[in-house]
Amino acid sequence: MTFSTFNEAAEAVSRFIRNGEGRFGELALALFTLQLKHVPAYRDLCRARHVSVNHWRKIPAVPTTAFRDFEITSLLLNERTTVFHSSGTTGTVFSRHWHDSSSLAVYENSLQSWFHAHLAPEDCRTLSLTPAPAEAPHSSLAHMMLTVQHTANFSGTNSPRGWEVNADTAQRACVGAIDGNQPLLIMGASFSFVQWLDGMKAPIALPTGSRVMETGGYKGRSRELPKSELHALIAQKLGVRPDHIISEYGMCELGSQAYDRIVGRTDCPTFTFPAWARIRIVSPETQAEVAEGETGLLQVFDLANIRSVLAILTGDLAVRRGDGFELIGRATASEPRGCSLALSES
Amino acid sequence: MELPNFFIIDTQPEARLTPSMVTEACRQLKRNRTQYLRDIPTAQTITLLAQLADNWRDDLFPFRKIALEAGQEATGFSPASLARGLDEFFSRITEENLHNFMAQELGDSRRLDAPLGTPEERSDNRTAFARGPELIGHITAGNLPCPTLMSMVHGLLVGSAQFVKCAEGAGFIPRLFAHSVYHTHAKLGACLELARWPGGDNPLEEALFKEADCIVAVGCDETLDAIRSRLPIGKRFLGHGHRVSFGYIHKDYLSRAMARELAENAARDVAAWNQLGCLSPHVFYVERDGAVRPEQFAEMLSDAIDALEQSEPRGKISEAESGEIAHRRSFYEIRAAHTGDVRQWQSEGSTAWTVVFEEEPQFATSCMNRFIHVKSVADIDETLRAAEMARGQVSTVGLAAPKSETEAIVIKLAHWGVTRVCPIGQMQNPPIGWRHDGRPTLGDLVTWTDWEQ
Repeated sequence: MTFSTFNEAAEAVSRFIRNGEGRFGELALALFTLQLKHVPAYRDLCRARHVSVNHWRKIPAVPTTAFRDFEITSLLLNERTTVFHSSGTTGTVFSRHWHDSSSLAVYENSLQSWFHAHLAPEDCRTLSLTPAPAEAPHSSLAHMMLTVQHTANFSGTNSPRGWEVNADTAQRACVGAIDGNQPLLIMGASFSFVQWLDGMKAPIALPTGSRVMETGGYKGRSRELPKSELHALIAQKLGVRPDHIISEYGMCELGSQAYDRIVGRTDCPTFTFPAWARIRIVSPETQAEVAEGETGLLQVFDLANIRSVLAILTGDLAVRRGDGFELIGRATASEPRGCSLALSES
Repeated sequence: MELPNFFIIDTQPEARLTPSMVTEACRQLKRNRTQYLRDIPTAQTITLLAQLADNWRDDLFPFRKIALEAGQEATGFSPASLARGLDEFFSRITEENLHNFMAQELGDSRRLDAPLGTPEERSDNRTAFARGPELIGHITAGNLPCPTLMSMVHGLLVGSAQFVKCAEGAGFIPRLFAHSVYHTHAKLGACLELARWPGGDNPLEEALFKEADCIVAVGCDETLDAIRSRLPIGKRFLGHGHRVSFGYIHKDYLSRAMARELAENAARDVAAWNQLGCLSPHVFYVERDGAVRPEQFAEMLSDAIDALEQSEPRGKISEAESGEIAHRRSFYEIRAAHTGDVRQWQSEGSTAWTVVFEEEPQFATSCMNRFIHVKSVADIDETLRAAEMARGQVSTVGLAAPKSETEAIVIKLAHWGVTRVCPIGQMQNPPIGWRHDGRPTLGDLVTWTDWEQ
């Protein structure tokens, strides 16, 4: 299988996402070949590695940090219609991931379908704690929040201090759901939940079936809690059942996301990507894939990354659990020992 | 050899520490100090410390044996790295060096024993008597043992009782050192206490802060700020924040033979304590226009680090640390492939060492564990401009430059804010008289009583 254009690739991937049509390995290799030809920095990397790629597992992965340094895209300047930036502490350089309308459509397809499979929001009202995309045009999360909502409802604002939650708007959405006795789905970044719930005076009890999707990191925007404590806080303040609290793993460099449970399931949470995004967890020392239960760096091979590159090396450590993974945390030089420091990331 | 239970840390984690235990330990330390330590003549303490340091370099010394046998498990450093680090550290502690150090700091090494005057003071008919704090509370950081040992030696020299709060997982060598002090001179050992608890445990730390009259802390700026803000009024606070270091090589030192030797010395600086200290280099700046180009020097450095890996392996590090190295390597790999002015050399099949060469001189912080940047510069002025982001946080510059140029370079570095300049190869091996952060060490600990006659 080969693709002669990205539109062709986008259509094939969309069919795979919608109907499971085609085989992951073949699609990945065909998309890789196209990307190799049209993403200059990637072509140079692959050439320098002298790898022959005959299986998706051998596709060279690009580190997320390369999205800051280089334009990892096959889109020419005049073809770029949307760009998503990585969030980060202010003043730092950020990743950039460009789209055109057809790659954006694949992205939306991808996120919709896997989101619905885990959050099943059909009967729910929704509330996003992020700002609306108009206020945060380069946030892939805000874009996702708009895409998955039937009736857009945002309580986040984008201030110079960073994202904040408007507690009144959020409260109104909760009260509305309680009065209408309709379950509420609340979605947002972990720090938004902490900001909001820390300031909430009295706990509320959302209607049965209400659910929460929280995602990634704090970046110094609120106090930081271990995930179990965050979930306990959400359960306590909002009256949401722990098996209705779902963690999402996503980033601007990826068109697909992983979720750690299907709403209502009580089994042990494990992150899984959809069938069109496969993972490898590799030993930092040897680059070989680690065995079940071992820790390594997470690589994601995501067909929904049409116009960038599909193979991404994240900076996250994960443990292999069957087809999924458990997230351990960022791979970062540990706290300065002795008295060294990490002034900046490269 | 089993260590006896002398210190709180010996019984941890089994024994749960309470604030009242910390308070009681501090008071006992102060009583012991008055009884045993305060009136020991400095010369005697010096002799004792020098002998102890000598013992620490003897392979048969039981505490050294434990350090080398169990050290890898406890600290992550390979036995060879530990042996070298300990040897270099203890070889600096001789009677002569200690006397000179006291004289450098206080004018005369006997000024804690009796009021004495320097010639300048005597001409004014004055003498002065110095006394150390009654109790020093140390808040140590991380897993590099030497700064903690050095602080303990300082405390002993000025006759202070000391309570050492070790960082989690970083108490192994300080604990052995404290036991060796106790073993050599039980009364001196009775003026030391060691414990560990997670940083920021306020009730325990408040108990310590209340009893100690001087707090010496090493850590990141936020940690230091947090400690400072919690100290009761009237406590002396000596905080040592984050520092980075770099090397600088003048083009006249880049003949083939000199460059090779320099690369070997530079490799030592990278390998020493796995680059984890504030005196370890993050970058070597190499001048263009030498016989050996900066890029060639980087390659020589990679050869030298590779050779060192055989004799002094880095040892195992955490997955978070190796993951960071792997991630950075792949970042520089793509940079190298895509732009012509970046090259990377690395250990095969492991993250043991990495050398990244870049034409572009912007200062880069390493993720440490033997990951070193080499950058090309025209001269010292360009270097300082490129390192602007680290200004105020640079401790040491390892310098290789011709004699005719060094003084001018050192003055430039000093005005820019560097507090130590040393030969390449000695970056992690400061002399005992080194002024940490450019401040007097004993000078900042003692309090004077001036006597005008």
